[in-house]
Amino acid sequence: MSADWQAAWQAVIHHPLFAFGLTLGSYQLAMAAYERTRWVFLQPVLVSMALVIGSLWLLDIGFEEYRRHSELLTLFLGPATVALAVPLFMNLKRIRLLFWPVLITLVLAGVVATVLGVGLGWLFGVDQQMLMTLAPKSVTSPIAMLVAAEIGGVAALAAVFVLLTGVLGAMFGPELLRLIGVRHPAAHGMALGLAAHAVGTARALQEGEECGAFAALSMSLMGVATAVVLPLVVALIV
Amino acid sequence: MLLRGLTALVLFQLLGTLLNVLWLSFLPGPIIGLVLLFIFLVWRGEVDEPLAVASTSLLRYLPLLLVPAAAGVMLYGPVLKANFWALAAALLLSLVLALLFTGWLMQRLIERQQRREAP
Repeated sequence: MSADWQAAWQAVIHHPLFAFGLTLGSYQLAMAAYERTRWVFLQPVLVSMALVIGSLWLLDIGFEEYRRHSELLTLFLGPATVALAVPLFMNLKRIRLLFWPVLITLVLAGVVATVLGVGLGWLFGVDQQMLMTLAPKSVTSPIAMLVAAEIGGVAALAAVFVLLTGVLGAMFGPELLRLIGVRHPAAHGMALGLAAHAVGTARALQEGEECGAFAALSMSLMGVATAVVLPLVVALIV
Repeated sequence: MLLRGLTALVLFQLLGTLLNVLWLSFLPGPIIGLVLLFIFLVWRGEVDEPLAVASTSLLRYLPLLLVPAAAGVMLYGPVLKANFWALAAALLLSLVLALLFTGWLMQRLIERQQRREAP
Protein backbone atom coordinates (compact mmCIF):
# COMPACT_ATOMS: atom_id res chain seq x y z
CA MET A 1 0.00 0.00 0.00
CA SER A 2 1.76 3.13 -1.16
CA ALA A 3 0.09 6.46 -0.66
CA ASP A 4 0.16 8.65 -3.76
CA TRP A 5 2.20 11.55 -2.39
CA GLN A 6 2.56 13.17 -5.77
CA ALA A 7 -1.22 13.39 -6.32
CA ALA A 8 -1.78 14.64 -2.77
CA TRP A 9 0.85 17.39 -3.22
CA GLN A 10 -0.67 18.48 -6.51
CA ALA A 11 -4.14 18.55 -4.94
CA VAL A 12 -2.84 20.84 -2.19
CA ILE A 13 -0.94 23.36 -4.31
CA HIS A 14 -3.69 23.58 -6.92
CA HIS A 15 -6.50 23.98 -4.39
CA PRO A 16 -8.16 27.42 -4.69
CA LEU A 17 -7.39 28.12 -1.04
CA PHE A 18 -3.67 27.62 -1.65
CA ALA A 19 -3.34 30.94 -3.48
CA PHE A 20 -5.30 32.62 -0.70
CA GLY A 21 -3.19 31.00 2.02
CA LEU A 22 0.03 31.79 0.20
CA THR A 23 -0.95 35.47 0.00
CA LEU A 24 -2.03 35.63 3.65
CA GLY A 25 1.13 33.87 4.82
CA SER A 26 3.47 36.00 2.73
CA TYR A 27 1.76 39.17 3.93
CA GLN A 28 2.11 38.22 7.58
CA LEU A 29 5.79 37.33 7.12
CA ALA A 30 6.36 40.66 5.37
CA MET A 31 4.50 42.57 8.09
CA ALA A 32 6.54 40.84 10.79
CA ALA A 33 9.78 41.68 8.98
CA TYR A 34 8.69 45.30 8.59
CA GLU A 35 7.60 45.69 12.20
CA ARG A 36 10.79 44.17 13.52
CA THR A 37 13.18 46.21 11.38
CA ARG A 38 11.12 49.34 10.56
CA TRP A 39 13.14 49.67 7.34
CA VAL A 40 11.16 51.79 4.97
CA PHE A 41 12.28 49.81 1.91
CA LEU A 42 10.83 46.62 3.41
CA GLN A 43 7.33 47.77 2.35
CA PRO A 44 4.95 44.87 3.15
CA VAL A 45 3.35 44.98 -0.30
CA LEU A 46 6.70 44.77 -2.11
CA VAL A 47 8.08 42.05 0.16
CA SER A 48 4.96 39.88 0.09
CA MET A 49 4.72 40.36 -3.67
CA ALA A 50 8.31 39.06 -4.00
CA LEU A 51 7.52 36.11 -1.70
CA VAL A 52 4.41 35.22 -3.72
CA ILE A 53 6.23 35.44 -7.06
CA GLY A 54 9.12 33.36 -5.70
CA SER A 55 6.77 30.67 -4.38
CA LEU A 56 4.76 30.48 -7.60
CA TRP A 57 7.98 30.13 -9.54
CA LEU A 58 9.38 27.43 -7.25
CA LEU A 59 6.13 25.44 -7.25
CA ASP A 60 5.65 25.93 -10.98
CA ILE A 61 2.17 27.48 -10.64
CA GLY A 62 1.15 29.81 -13.48
CA PHE A 63 0.19 33.40 -12.71
CA GLU A 64 -3.18 32.93 -14.41
CA GLU A 65 -4.09 30.20 -11.92
CA TYR A 66 -2.89 32.28 -8.97
CA ARG A 67 -4.83 35.30 -10.21
CA ARG A 68 -8.03 33.29 -10.57
CA HIS A 69 -7.71 31.80 -7.11
CA SER A 70 -6.86 35.06 -5.35
CA GLU A 71 -9.67 36.95 -7.03
CA LEU A 72 -11.58 37.24 -3.74
CA LEU A 73 -8.89 39.56 -2.35
CA THR A 74 -8.68 41.64 -5.50
CA LEU A 75 -12.47 41.97 -5.53
CA PHE A 76 -12.35 43.81 -2.21
CA LEU A 77 -10.04 46.45 -3.68
CA GLY A 78 -13.17 48.11 -5.11
CA PRO A 79 -14.97 48.79 -1.81
CA ALA A 80 -11.60 49.64 -0.22
CA THR A 81 -11.10 52.31 -2.87
CA VAL A 82 -14.60 53.67 -2.19
CA ALA A 83 -13.70 53.71 1.52
CA LEU A 84 -10.90 56.22 0.77
CA ALA A 85 -13.67 58.85 0.73
CA VAL A 86 -13.87 58.61 4.54
CA PRO A 87 -10.28 59.73 5.32
CA LEU A 88 -10.56 62.37 2.58
CA PHE A 89 -13.66 63.82 4.24
CA MET A 90 -12.11 63.71 7.73
CA ASN A 91 -8.92 65.43 6.52
CA LEU A 92 -10.75 68.13 4.59
CA LYS A 93 -12.55 69.25 7.72
CA ARG A 94 -9.24 70.20 9.30
CA ILE A 95 -7.83 72.58 6.73
CA ARG A 96 -10.26 75.49 6.56
CA LEU A 97 -7.39 77.79 7.55
CA LEU A 98 -5.06 76.96 4.68
CA PHE A 99 -7.71 76.24 2.07
CA TRP A 100 -6.28 78.34 -0.78
CA PRO A 101 -2.61 77.42 -0.36
CA VAL A 102 -3.64 73.74 -0.32
CA LEU A 103 -5.86 74.03 -3.37
CA ILE A 104 -3.37 76.00 -5.47
CA THR A 105 -0.51 73.68 -4.51
CA LEU A 106 -2.63 70.63 -5.29
CA VAL A 107 -3.50 71.84 -8.78
CA LEU A 108 -0.09 73.20 -9.80
CA ALA A 109 2.10 70.58 -8.13
CA GLY A 110 -0.23 67.75 -9.11
CA VAL A 111 0.07 68.73 -12.76
CA VAL A 112 3.85 69.17 -12.44
CA ALA A 113 4.29 65.74 -10.79
CA THR A 114 2.25 63.94 -13.44
CA VAL A 115 3.63 65.81 -16.46
CA LEU A 116 7.21 65.40 -15.21
CA GLY A 117 6.80 61.64 -14.82
CA VAL A 118 5.34 61.15 -18.29
CA GLY A 119 7.54 63.80 -19.93
CA LEU A 120 10.81 62.47 -18.55
CA GLY A 121 9.77 58.91 -19.42
CA TRP A 122 9.04 60.03 -22.97
CA LEU A 123 12.34 61.90 -23.14
CA PHE A 124 14.24 58.78 -22.07
CA GLY A 125 12.47 56.69 -24.70
CA VAL A 126 9.94 54.72 -22.62
CA ASP A 127 7.21 53.15 -24.76
CA GLN A 128 3.55 54.21 -24.78
CA GLN A 129 2.22 51.47 -22.49
CA MET A 130 4.89 52.21 -19.88
CA LEU A 131 4.22 55.96 -20.14
CA MET A 132 0.57 55.36 -19.30
CA THR A 133 1.76 53.23 -16.38
CA LEU A 134 4.03 56.05 -15.16
CA ALA A 135 1.31 58.72 -15.34
CA PRO A 136 -0.44 57.91 -12.04
CA LYS A 137 2.76 57.18 -10.08
CA SER A 138 2.14 59.97 -7.56
CA VAL A 139 -1.18 58.47 -6.49
CA THR A 140 -1.95 55.90 -3.82
CA SER A 141 -1.75 52.33 -5.24
CA PRO A 142 -5.42 51.25 -5.51
CA ILE A 143 -6.33 54.40 -7.42
CA ALA A 144 -3.14 54.28 -9.50
CA MET A 145 -3.95 50.73 -10.61
CA LEU A 146 -7.45 51.65 -11.69
CA VAL A 147 -6.28 54.76 -13.51
CA ALA A 148 -3.38 52.97 -15.23
CA ALA A 149 -5.69 50.22 -16.47
CA GLU A 150 -8.19 52.83 -17.64
CA ILE A 151 -5.72 54.83 -19.74
CA GLY A 152 -3.92 51.85 -21.28
CA GLY A 153 -1.10 51.14 -18.83
CA VAL A 154 -0.34 48.06 -16.73
CA ALA A 155 -2.07 47.98 -13.32
CA ALA A 156 0.43 45.65 -11.64
CA LEU A 157 3.42 47.74 -12.69
CA ALA A 158 1.68 50.95 -11.67
CA ALA A 159 1.36 49.55 -8.14
CA VAL A 160 5.08 48.80 -8.05
CA PHE A 161 6.10 52.22 -9.45
CA VAL A 162 3.88 53.86 -6.88
CA LEU A 163 5.45 51.92 -4.03
CA LEU A 164 9.02 52.57 -5.20
CA THR A 165 8.22 56.28 -5.55
CA GLY A 166 6.75 56.26 -2.06
CA VAL A 167 9.72 54.49 -0.50
CA LEU A 168 12.30 56.79 -2.11
CA GLY A 169 10.27 59.90 -1.30
CA ALA A 170 9.87 58.88 2.32
CA MET A 171 13.57 58.03 2.66
CA PHE A 172 15.04 61.21 1.20
CA GLY A 173 12.12 63.68 1.07
CA PRO A 174 12.44 65.43 4.44
CA GLU A 175 16.22 65.96 4.07
CA LEU A 176 15.87 67.26 0.50
CA LEU A 177 13.13 69.68 1.56
CA ARG A 178 15.22 71.02 4.43
CA LEU A 179 18.14 71.42 2.03
CA ILE A 180 16.22 73.91 -0.14
CA GLY A 181 14.92 75.76 2.92
CA VAL A 182 11.36 74.42 3.21
CA ARG A 183 10.63 74.43 6.96
CA HIS A 184 6.89 74.81 7.49
CA PRO A 185 5.46 71.46 8.67
CA ALA A 186 2.38 71.91 6.45
CA ALA A 187 4.64 72.37 3.41
CA HIS A 188 6.65 69.26 4.34
CA GLY A 189 3.43 67.28 4.73
CA MET A 190 1.95 68.54 1.48
CA ALA A 191 5.09 67.57 -0.43
CA LEU A 192 5.40 64.13 1.15
CA GLY A 193 1.74 63.25 0.66
CA LEU A 194 1.50 64.56 -2.88
CA ALA A 195 4.74 63.09 -4.22
CA ALA A 196 5.10 59.98 -2.03
CA HIS A 197 1.46 59.16 -1.02
CA ALA A 198 0.93 56.49 1.68
CA VAL A 199 4.58 55.73 2.48
CA GLY A 200 5.34 59.45 2.52
CA THR A 201 2.37 60.05 4.79
CA ALA A 202 3.65 57.46 7.26
CA ARG A 203 7.00 59.27 7.29
CA ALA A 204 5.28 62.65 7.65
CA LEU A 205 3.47 61.38 10.75
CA GLN A 206 6.85 60.67 12.34
CA GLU A 207 7.83 64.30 11.67
CA GLY A 208 4.84 65.59 13.60
CA GLU A 209 1.08 65.77 13.76
CA GLU A 210 0.55 68.81 11.53
CA CYS A 211 2.95 67.43 8.93
CA GLY A 212 1.12 64.07 8.98
CA ALA A 213 -2.31 65.64 8.69
CA PHE A 214 -1.32 67.64 5.62
CA ALA A 215 0.35 64.61 4.06
CA ALA A 216 -2.81 62.54 4.50
CA LEU A 217 -4.85 65.37 3.07
CA SER A 218 -2.70 65.96 0.00
CA MET A 219 -2.46 62.21 -0.62
CA SER A 220 -6.22 61.76 -0.71
CA LEU A 221 -6.84 64.96 -2.68
CA MET A 222 -4.15 64.06 -5.22
CA GLY A 223 -5.62 60.55 -5.52
CA VAL A 224 -9.15 61.69 -6.24
CA ALA A 225 -8.11 64.60 -8.46
CA THR A 226 -5.88 62.35 -10.58
CA ALA A 227 -8.51 59.62 -10.77
CA VAL A 228 -11.08 62.04 -12.13
CA VAL A 229 -8.92 64.30 -14.31
CA LEU A 230 -6.24 62.03 -15.79
CA PRO A 231 -8.55 59.62 -17.70
CA LEU A 232 -10.40 62.65 -19.08
CA VAL A 233 -7.21 64.34 -20.25
CA VAL A 234 -5.88 61.14 -21.81
CA ALA A 235 -9.22 60.54 -23.55
CA LEU A 236 -9.03 64.06 -25.01
CA ILE A 237 -5.40 63.88 -26.15
CA VAL A 238 -5.01 60.32 -27.43
CA MET B 1 -21.92 47.31 12.44
CA LEU B 2 -19.08 46.18 10.20
CA LEU B 3 -21.46 44.44 7.83
CA ARG B 4 -23.76 47.43 7.55
CA GLY B 5 -20.85 49.69 6.64
CA LEU B 6 -19.46 47.11 4.23
CA THR B 7 -22.84 46.85 2.52
CA ALA B 8 -22.89 50.63 2.08
CA LEU B 9 -19.41 50.56 0.52
CA VAL B 10 -20.41 47.76 -1.85
CA LEU B 11 -23.59 49.63 -2.80
CA PHE B 12 -21.62 52.80 -3.59
CA GLN B 13 -19.19 50.81 -5.72
CA LEU B 14 -22.07 49.10 -7.59
CA LEU B 15 -23.71 52.47 -8.14
CA GLY B 16 -20.36 53.61 -9.55
CA THR B 17 -20.26 50.63 -11.89
CA LEU B 18 -23.81 51.41 -13.04
CA LEU B 19 -22.91 55.02 -13.86
CA ASN B 20 -19.67 53.87 -15.48
CA VAL B 21 -21.54 51.67 -17.95
CA LEU B 22 -24.33 54.16 -18.55
CA TRP B 23 -22.58 57.50 -19.01
CA LEU B 24 -19.11 57.79 -17.48
CA SER B 25 -17.14 55.17 -19.37
CA PHE B 26 -13.85 57.06 -18.87
CA LEU B 27 -14.03 56.83 -15.04
CA PRO B 28 -13.51 53.49 -13.25
CA GLY B 29 -16.52 52.37 -11.17
CA PRO B 30 -14.77 52.42 -7.76
CA ILE B 31 -13.62 56.01 -8.40
CA ILE B 32 -17.20 57.11 -9.14
CA GLY B 33 -18.22 55.27 -5.97
CA LEU B 34 -15.55 57.16 -4.01
CA VAL B 35 -16.74 60.53 -5.30
CA LEU B 36 -20.39 59.64 -4.61
CA LEU B 37 -19.58 58.55 -1.07
CA PHE B 38 -17.61 61.75 -0.54
CA ILE B 39 -20.54 63.87 -1.75
CA PHE B 40 -22.83 61.87 0.53
CA LEU B 41 -20.52 62.51 3.51
CA VAL B 42 -20.36 66.25 2.80
CA TRP B 43 -24.17 66.29 2.61
CA ARG B 44 -24.51 64.38 5.89
CA GLY B 45 -21.75 66.44 7.52
CA GLU B 46 -20.40 63.47 9.50
CA VAL B 47 -19.29 59.85 9.15
CA ASP B 48 -21.69 57.52 10.92
CA GLU B 49 -20.37 54.65 13.01
CA PRO B 50 -20.93 51.66 10.66
CA LEU B 51 -19.24 53.41 7.76
CA ALA B 52 -16.32 54.50 9.93
CA VAL B 53 -15.84 50.94 11.25
CA ALA B 54 -16.05 49.32 7.82
CA SER B 55 -13.73 51.77 6.09
CA THR B 56 -11.13 51.66 8.86
CA SER B 57 -11.10 47.85 8.86
CA LEU B 58 -10.96 47.58 5.09
CA LEU B 59 -8.25 50.23 4.71
CA ARG B 60 -6.13 48.56 7.40
CA TYR B 61 -5.84 45.54 5.09
CA LEU B 62 -5.42 47.55 1.92
CA PRO B 63 -1.77 46.44 1.46
CA LEU B 64 -2.85 42.79 1.64
CA LEU B 65 -5.54 43.37 -1.00
CA LEU B 66 -2.91 44.86 -3.30
CA VAL B 67 -0.58 41.85 -3.20
CA PRO B 68 -2.27 39.56 -5.80
CA ALA B 69 -2.65 42.45 -8.23
CA ALA B 70 0.95 43.59 -7.73
CA ALA B 71 2.23 40.03 -8.23
CA GLY B 72 1.13 40.50 -11.86
CA VAL B 73 4.51 42.19 -12.46
CA MET B 74 5.91 38.69 -12.99
CA LEU B 75 4.30 38.75 -16.43
CA TYR B 76 6.17 41.92 -17.40
CA GLY B 77 9.80 40.95 -16.85
CA PRO B 78 10.92 41.55 -20.46
CA VAL B 79 9.16 44.95 -20.78
CA LEU B 80 10.69 46.06 -17.50
CA LYS B 81 14.15 44.92 -18.51
CA ALA B 82 13.94 46.71 -21.85
CA ASN B 83 12.91 50.00 -20.23
CA PHE B 84 14.75 49.65 -16.93
CA TRP B 85 17.14 52.62 -16.93
CA ALA B 86 14.69 54.97 -18.62
CA LEU B 87 11.99 54.07 -16.10
CA ALA B 88 14.33 54.34 -13.12
CA ALA B 89 15.62 57.74 -14.24
CA ALA B 90 12.12 59.07 -14.97
CA LEU B 91 10.75 57.88 -11.63
CA LEU B 92 13.63 59.22 -9.57
CA LEU B 93 13.99 62.60 -11.29
CA SER B 94 10.27 63.36 -11.42
CA LEU B 95 9.90 62.36 -7.79
CA VAL B 96 12.67 64.66 -6.58
CA LEU B 97 11.54 67.62 -8.70
CA ALA B 98 7.85 67.22 -7.85
CA LEU B 99 8.59 66.85 -4.15
CA LEU B 100 10.78 69.95 -4.00
CA PHE B 101 8.37 72.00 -6.12
CA THR B 102 5.40 71.06 -3.92
CA GLY B 103 7.22 71.91 -0.69
CA TRP B 104 8.58 75.19 -2.05
CA LEU B 105 5.23 76.32 -3.50
CA MET B 106 3.26 75.45 -0.36
CA GLN B 107 5.75 77.32 1.83
CA ARG B 108 5.58 80.42 -0.40
CA LEU B 109 1.77 80.39 -0.38
CA ILE B 110 1.59 79.98 3.40
CA GLU B 111 4.00 82.87 3.92
CA ARG B 112 1.99 85.04 1.54
CA GLN B 113 -1.24 84.29 3.37
CA GLN B 114 0.38 85.02 6.73
CA ARG B 115 1.73 88.36 5.48
CA ARG B 116 -1.72 89.31 4.28
CA GLU B 117 -3.43 88.43 7.54
CA ALA B 118 -0.89 90.31 9.67
CA PRO B 119 -0.08 93.52 7.75
